[in-house]
Amino acid sequence: MMIKEIITVILLVVGCFFFLAGTLGVLRFPDLFSRLHALTKADNLGLGFIAAAMALHIASPWAALKIFSIWFFTLLASSTSCYLIARFQKEKDQPSSRKEEE
Amino acid sequence: MSIIIDILLAILTVYLALQSLLVHRLTQNVFLFFAFGLALALAWVRLGAVDVAITEAAIASGFLGVLFLDALRDFSDTSSKKWDDLELVRNSLHSKNPKSLFLPRLALVLGLLLFLFISLEAIWKIPDGGGLTAAAEAMLPESGVEHPVTAVLLNFRAYDTWLEIGVILLGLLAVFTVGGIKIYRKPQAITHDPLLRQVILFSTPILFLFGAFILYFGKSGPGGAFQAAVLWGAIGILLYLGGKPIFTVIPRWLLRLILTIGLGFFLLLGFLIIASGGALFEYPPAYAGILILIVETLAAISIAAALTAIFANLNQMTEEPKESNQPIE
Repeated sequence: MMIKEIITVILLVVGCFFFLAGTLGVLRFPDLFSRLHALTKADNLGLGFIAAAMALHIASPWAALKIFSIWFFTLLASSTSCYLIARFQKEKDQPSSRKEEE
Repeated sequence: MSIIIDILLAILTVYLALQSLLVHRLTQNVFLFFAFGLALALAWVRLGAVDVAITEAAIASGFLGVLFLDALRDFSDTSSKKWDDLELVRNSLHSKNPKSLFLPRLALVLGLLLFLFISLEAIWKIPDGGGLTAAAEAMLPESGVEHPVTAVLLNFRAYDTWLEIGVILLGLLAVFTVGGIKIYRKPQAITHDPLLRQVILFSTPILFLFGAFILYFGKSGPGGAFQAAVLWGAIGILLYLGGKPIFTVIPRWLLRLILTIGLGFFLLLGFLIIASGGALFEYPPAYAGILILIVETLAAISIAAALTAIFANLNQMTEEPKESNQPIE
């Protein structure tokens, strides 16, 4: 019992660390691409660790499945929107490159 | 421990609300509004009103946020050059003559004082025994559902919910009146992006299933027509953004039918109940469960279609002039 709680707390702390690092990155990084990088790291790893901690804390297979599907869909949405934002920015920076590709 | 979280959440909510009003750049306004909506949803969760929290997150933060983002994009597209002028005008308005601001400020202060008094009175005069909670709980077996919130919304006070559906339809009508019912074309945006298309196609059935689950789950827990409608509406908006607007494939009479069927069936049901000698929306207890489910399903379909149509139509209106101005690539 004790060990489970310790692991939960460790996972939560690691998740919060990634969120903190991601927030710091968004605030401090110079351009959009590196900011996106920081942001998606926070989403993926931070939320992943927190989801793992919560699943361990609740310790019911159905709840764990639901929690991990939340994580999975967040991953999907965040990586897609990150890609779209990056693509938009890239086309805005160099509008000619797209035509060459096509 | 939890009181600290509550106090922090309250401070955060008020702070975000003030910031989203006071910040000078439109982009910041919109994103602070997002954050405010999420903080508000968390506050509802802390208050134990999960239904309201889901609706707040879905409609106020989600759907309204999408509309705001869309408006922001159009605004920055059409007037990015005029942006500086706009800021100048805005600043000059702020600094021009402070006397003209006296009346609005007075009104604001009076309104805030009134709000303060009303909320203080509301806190002061919490009725003994939780008001109508006991009455609602007592009648729960006759309502046809197990969740008290759904029972209140769709049985005891169905009139309010019926009007709410009407309000959304009215909003759509207002959009139609401004823009007219246009023929839906495929938008020109990033539609040929394979990744976006795959993600949209992947998430469409899941969103649909989840919406149906929320709709059905409303019988016994937090959920229901409005929450499901936002999820289904999200499908419509995603498909529209992904270059597959559903309104191009269904005929217009069907669209009109879908848009009005929620309100219409509700009204028809109420009329039939009156005609058979009951009060408006006084379902016979034996059929209440199935009637509520039908009403909710149709309402969800109508609201989802209305939300999609509002988004698509607003998008349409702003795309028209852009196309005529811009040379084709």
